[in-house]
Amino acid sequence: MAADAPALVVETSHLTKIYQDRQIALNDLSVAVEPGAVMGLLGPNGAGKTTFLRLVLGLHSPTAGWCNVFGRRMHPNAADLRRRIGYIPTNPQFPRGMTPIEYLDYIGRLFGMTREARKPKLAKLIRAVDLLPQSGQPISNFTPGMTARLAVASSLINDPDLLIWDEPTHGLDVEARRGMLELIKTLAAEKSMILSSHNLSDIDEVCNHAAVLNKGHLIFHGSLQELKGRIRKNHYELDLEGDQKNITKSVQQVKAMKEVISAAMRHRRLELKLTDDVGNTGVLAMIMQTLFDNKVTLVSVRSVGAQTETAYLDLVEKEEQRGFARLFQAMPEAA
Amino acid sequence: MDAATTPTAPTTTPRFNPLLPYFAVFRTDLRQTFHSWLFRLWVMVVIVAAVGYGLYKFGIHREVGLVQSASEQTGVLLGTVGVITLAFVSLVAVHAISGERGTVADSILSRGISRRQYFAAKWHARTGVLLATFAVLSAGVLTAYHYLLEPDLTFRGCAAGIAVAVAVLAAVVAWGVTVGAMSNGTVIGVTLFWLVLFGGLFLLSFLPSPFPSGAGLLAALRTTLRGHFDLVRISQVVGVFTLVAAVGGGVGLMGYSKKDV
Repeated sequence: MAADAPALVVETSHLTKIYQDRQIALNDLSVAVEPGAVMGLLGPNGAGKTTFLRLVLGLHSPTAGWCNVFGRRMHPNAADLRRRIGYIPTNPQFPRGMTPIEYLDYIGRLFGMTREARKPKLAKLIRAVDLLPQSGQPISNFTPGMTARLAVASSLINDPDLLIWDEPTHGLDVEARRGMLELIKTLAAEKSMILSSHNLSDIDEVCNHAAVLNKGHLIFHGSLQELKGRIRKNHYELDLEGDQKNITKSVQQVKAMKEVISAAMRHRRLELKLTDDVGNTGVLAMIMQTLFDNKVTLVSVRSVGAQTETAYLDLVEKEEQRGFARLFQAMPEAA
Repeated sequence: MDAATTPTAPTTTPRFNPLLPYFAVFRTDLRQTFHSWLFRLWVMVVIVAAVGYGLYKFGIHREVGLVQSASEQTGVLLGTVGVITLAFVSLVAVHAISGERGTVADSILSRGISRRQYFAAKWHARTGVLLATFAVLSAGVLTAYHYLLEPDLTFRGCAAGIAVAVAVLAAVVAWGVTVGAMSNGTVIGVTLFWLVLFGGLFLLSFLPSPFPSGAGLLAALRTTLRGHFDLVRISQVVGVFTLVAAVGGGVGLMGYSKKDV
């Protein structure tokens, strides 16, 4: 029964944000985040990722459309809804002169947690994020890694149902980044999460859903598997070795094949794009034969694109190429 | 794992006190204001000016033998220190919310606090600190001048004078916090606020007698400090400025609760 289904964690409908009638930051965004989902928010700079997160948190009010969190409308005074959210902004900053203990105590009080609830919790969190030796030092002296760990602790102090982390691995070194990703994986087992990141490999590793934004418009929303399913198939890279004349000759012959869409040579690496109409094994066999006939050695062959990064880039590229066609596809949805 | 089939286990919301967020911001802002260099600079300027001027007049009074009445000299001192106080107090008030704009405000407002609570806590904290500090400084100056110079001050007069000044400052603080909350930065906010405040005082000085002016208010203050005042009139003035402060705070509460941060 629909009534028994758990409420969506986040649901937006035609969410639009226009700043001072000058900048369209978000355009007609309708998404739903189910309980337990770990949604990766992808998009180039200025795509509207942070604006979306701020609307979900009620820090901004929508120009049009609406945003529900845990089945209720989010607005700037919806403190009870924010009590169930843990948020980390990009490059988190903290009030000056505070120590981690003072800061977490402050955040606990902002959530309305009683002394009995917040004191043991903050002690546990400081230990968990390995800030025990620095717990009495001013936050202003912290390194980016320590700041990130404190931000994680502050987002977990209220035991939230939904975590919204805006670029949590930004500015972290390799070790800290690895630790952060492992933490996300652990938390993902029991909480819903929305992660914004520029780093597609991070999204690939920890998320099970993705939303791709481009210039304020949602161009994809679904599971990560669906996103990967949209990649261009039959895209290969071949590293070649041999006489340059022979390589050039074989590339000319490969280009002439009707099953080959494009064949570009770049520093002895042949980039091949094949049609989807025929089986790739047959075409690849023909290409290998051509290379063999021209005495060209194949060093390596690689299938390009079975990655989130390629799928994402393809989506953005296709969106850019659609031009005015976007309008016509958008019309029935809006209706 | 399919996300749709693994709903989040319902977590028990920890017991919370709805007033705690207000008091958290209130307490933190009290501490921030006391520690801010702007606030300390204002206090230092007032103390240095009051002590320097007082000692100078004390020297004239005792050594040269020229009688210096405490009420007269307090009025003269306030003419200078009052302008400085207005400038500093408005700056500290405007900075209350605009100074936290950005990720610091994000990290507070994204928690379990409503905009109204946040604004009210900031407004009340700044009002409390600035007014209490001004009242203590004024009481100290009046007491010192009373004993150092010709003692013509009365307790009732001083209390009435401080009450009026505090009411005026309460209005300045309330509107300062509101302007800071509604503007997009401290510089823009304080520029606007100073233009209105000092521009208004300047314009008032050109108006005829029934309208209040800076010089007129200082003259009235001197007689008030001596104990010559109409209690009803003083109550009305205090009431009007308290109302202006309340309206300022109300406008800020409503405006800020809808504003993007």
